[in-house]
Amino acid sequence: MKHASHYNDLGFELTIDLNPSLRQITMENLGGLFNPSSPEMEAMAGLTYYTIAITVVILGIIVIAVAYIIIRYRKKPGDDSEPYQDFGNIKLEIVWTAIPIAMVAVLFLLTCSTMKTVDPPAGDREPDLVIIGHQWWWEIRYPSSGVSTSNEIHIPAGEKMLVRLESIDVIHDFWVPELGRKIDLVPGHPNYIWLVAGKPGVYLGACAEFCGEQHANMRIRVVAEPEDEFNKWQDEQLAIPRTPTEGIAGEGAKLFQTMACMNCHTIRGTAAAARVGPDLTHLADRATIGAGVLTNTPENLAKWLANPQRYKQGAFMPNMKLSDSEVKSIVAYLEALDEQ
Amino acid sequence: MANNKMLVGFFIASESIFFLMLILAYVNFHGSVTSGPTAVNSLNPVVTGIFSLFLFASSFTIWLAGKSLREKNHFMLKVWILATIALGAVFIFGQGLEWSGLIDKNITISRNVFGTTFFTLTGFHGFHVCVGLIMLSLLLGLALAGDFKGPKSDAVECISLYWHFVDGVWVVVFSVIYLWAFL
Amino acid sequence: MSSRIPLVPENTVPLPSLKANNGLLSWVSSVDHKQIGIMYLIITLIYFLLGGVEALLIRVQLAHPGNDFLTPELYNQLFTMHGTTMIFFVVMPFLIGVGVYLLPLMIGARDMAFPRLNALSFWLFFFGGILLYYSFFTQSGAPDVGWFAYAPLSEKPFSLNKGPTYWALGLLASGIGSVASGLNNVVTILTMRTPGMTMRRIPLFVWMMLVTSLLLVFVIPIITAAFAMMLLDSILGATFFTPAHGGSAILWQHFFWGFGHPEVYILILPAFGIISEVIPVFSRKPIYGYEFVAASTVAIGLLSLGVWAHHMFAVGLGNVTNAFFSLASMLIAIPTGVKVLNWVATMWGGRINFATPMLFGTAFIIEFVIGGLTGVAIASVPIDWVVTDSYFIVAHFHYAIFGGSVFAIFAGVYYWFPKFTGRMLSETLGKWHFWLTVIGFNMTFFIQHFLGVMGMPRRTYTYYDMPYWGPMNLISTIGAMILGLSVIVFVWNILVSLRHGKPAGDNPWNAWTLEWATTSPPAVENFELVPPVRGRRPLWDLAHPDMPDEPDAKIV
Repeated sequence: MKHASHYNDLGFELTIDLNPSLRQITMENLGGLFNPSSPEMEAMAGLTYYTIAITVVILGIIVIAVAYIIIRYRKKPGDDSEPYQDFGNIKLEIVWTAIPIAMVAVLFLLTCSTMKTVDPPAGDREPDLVIIGHQWWWEIRYPSSGVSTSNEIHIPAGEKMLVRLESIDVIHDFWVPELGRKIDLVPGHPNYIWLVAGKPGVYLGACAEFCGEQHANMRIRVVAEPEDEFNKWQDEQLAIPRTPTEGIAGEGAKLFQTMACMNCHTIRGTAAAARVGPDLTHLADRATIGAGVLTNTPENLAKWLANPQRYKQGAFMPNMKLSDSEVKSIVAYLEALDEQ
Repeated sequence: MANNKMLVGFFIASESIFFLMLILAYVNFHGSVTSGPTAVNSLNPVVTGIFSLFLFASSFTIWLAGKSLREKNHFMLKVWILATIALGAVFIFGQGLEWSGLIDKNITISRNVFGTTFFTLTGFHGFHVCVGLIMLSLLLGLALAGDFKGPKSDAVECISLYWHFVDGVWVVVFSVIYLWAFL
Repeated sequence: MSSRIPLVPENTVPLPSLKANNGLLSWVSSVDHKQIGIMYLIITLIYFLLGGVEALLIRVQLAHPGNDFLTPELYNQLFTMHGTTMIFFVVMPFLIGVGVYLLPLMIGARDMAFPRLNALSFWLFFFGGILLYYSFFTQSGAPDVGWFAYAPLSEKPFSLNKGPTYWALGLLASGIGSVASGLNNVVTILTMRTPGMTMRRIPLFVWMMLVTSLLLVFVIPIITAAFAMMLLDSILGATFFTPAHGGSAILWQHFFWGFGHPEVYILILPAFGIISEVIPVFSRKPIYGYEFVAASTVAIGLLSLGVWAHHMFAVGLGNVTNAFFSLASMLIAIPTGVKVLNWVATMWGGRINFATPMLFGTAFIIEFVIGGLTGVAIASVPIDWVVTDSYFIVAHFHYAIFGGSVFAIFAGVYYWFPKFTGRMLSETLGKWHFWLTVIGFNMTFFIQHFLGVMGMPRRTYTYYDMPYWGPMNLISTIGAMILGLSVIVFVWNILVSLRHGKPAGDNPWNAWTLEWATTSPPAVENFELVPPVRGRRPLWDLAHPDMPDEPDAKIV
């Protein structure tokens, strides 16, 4: 999608170039409910539009009635007479009780049928994707292929993916507004949803359940690609990169192994296999750093490594107090992993 | 005044909801303990059952106290209040024994969800029994000072209502914790 | 009777006589329902200003994307405190306070059934609030886990600070006070009515307070138990809500919302009561369909007990559970709709005097209907999946609680201020207050419906620069500033009118319920003589002996 612009929270490197097409108010630019991009979301959007339309009509009737009353029954100056004392009318009460009952009945039936469309039973099917919520990033696993990544979900466009959602710490909520429903990631209570994107594109989302200090910076990118591109991406992710031994990247590899990095991160093909933080094997392939706080460029990666707390205060990645040259080496190493 | 009894009635209704929540929490976790202490492997229904009889008996004695007051038998009023206090105290003593036995076996509120829900539920009940004992003691003091002329006294009737309630809660708690586990 | 003070009064004990202007001590030691009511109102006004400042800070932070006006920590503390303050220390105690002041007057009683219990309720509320706000001065700062304090975020190891503990303790104390208020109100309404004031004749405000009070009695213990469990978790290491140790995160949500949703009706039903008093008086007509307005209140009270899981549609409870709670929640629209239509019908054919109370009363109908209609929409599970935890919900409940409860509260303040103080509030300042409120409120919140469906989540200290999000948030922030200005006008009006307001007389609005049958402010003993009650509008009957409401009623 076009509006994948990013800023960083300190105000520099603002990459919003609101391109001319974004200045027009179109459904696609408005996003979310206005741009449903999956059959599930279309069903929910349809129900929402329908319901909102009815409520607008009801509101309109009441507003018109009140406006009429204000004009017609306003007390005239000097008129101190008491109006006709009307205590009520049982027939009228029955009518305006019955009409809402009928409306509620219809809304409820539509509700049930839409629920069925959005959440069809999965049967015994194994999940295609496992999403695990962490404070404050998303661990993404593809059980059948073994791919492990974070914050960025690649899916083949048009295909129904069964997603299993878990949480390792607190409650999070998975929400990609254009693709479908919200679903909580509850510790000790795995949930399942269907994730579908009708056509290729990038769909942005975020954590929707308050999950602590950096709840605001727990973004999701869903990249829907044609089948062959998805397969290609998956193969690339599965490749185990060679560890550079020479040059500045080799320095970085050594630093990575000797400093605390490997206590939290995995880089396949090395001894680093911890799962506290994101898998960094193919970090350079991803679009953002820190679940969306920075665009993933070597410069930004260097800034991030120099002091993650500056960009994402409270995140569990500490300021490692790296020197400039150490930062450079580690950036070179992480970038080198993906070049092979 | 009917006000006092109505107040206590609604108060008891409110308290019932409070205990209902504690009981629901216990029931919710009843089947989920897979390791460590559970009701079956750490409680003794017979000993607790015997101590429970003291509490159940105290409901009877407080009723007798009220009956004595209605008959203007001031001596028996004091005797029956004293008996109620004694029976309640024996029950609390039994609960203390049970708790200290469990804690000696390192079964505590923080051990697992059984410990958590068991100690919370029985603890809040025990707390209510203690509050009841304090109120009964005040009642006894006032009775000794000759405050109750009879045949009616809102104080006696309200505290008696509360005491029946505390008793009734224990019937449910005992059934849920002990009878459910052992029957 | 012996000179000893008995444990429970055997007979009506004469209350200590109090002169209203006897210095601070006479207030602190007061058991007079009017003084206690006024204390509630003053304290809630202070909290309203505090909560308002918190809201403005939040809106400043959100004025443009990527703002660093507040740290994330402080932002999280502020939105937690804003919600907690406005719900538990503004709207709820205001309505309780107004109830405590008015109930005995409206039913022709001398005081509440239990004046000392009444004072206890107030002081529990007072110290509960202090306990909560004291957390700002501790090292760990105020609670930062939201007014709903979802486990396990609110517990160790995810919250190592003491904020949530202060939160739970403060609310526990004030909650017990609320139960005591509820008990007191119920007994007062059921037993202290003046002769002739049958349950079919009590003012609708009293009906709504009765249902609200029963909700307090039956619903607060749910959260009291949950707070106790949460405190046991945090202090003694119990494991109720910690999934890592066998506890359940979802159990907290059931308990919290089992209380939390009826709480919403605790916040709105007395507001309905205020509106049901104001609209007839200013329309110069009796309430249309008294029985239906009263019965629909009971229906709402009962239904409110069975709808809590509509806050949990995204938790994954399964479609059957979701469908049940969806239907139950939609059903609430029916009795609520009945009320709205009866208010409109009351205005129809009247001679409406649009003084400030009626302006707020009329605006209440529109604003509340907007909040109510979005409420019906989100009772539908799939719509909830779209909008829950987004700014749409923020807009929805502000329309219900600000556009509903707070508009009604303003109507009530302008209506009863003459009775409370003996002076009228300024109509000129009142109109300024009204229009600034309407403009500021709608500007702040209407646009948030759109932000929500466009994908902006709630409770985020910053947001991404998605198309239009920045300008839309800026509009909302400017609206909040206007709303802030309106509150300054309101407070100014109160301060000026207290000294220089027009003297009110006993019954400035020519109203019909018993509180207007005594002096303004009422004397310590409330009434010299309670007028005879032969219908729902005793003062109408007095003024129009030729056409009483119930011509066949016998004199009691």
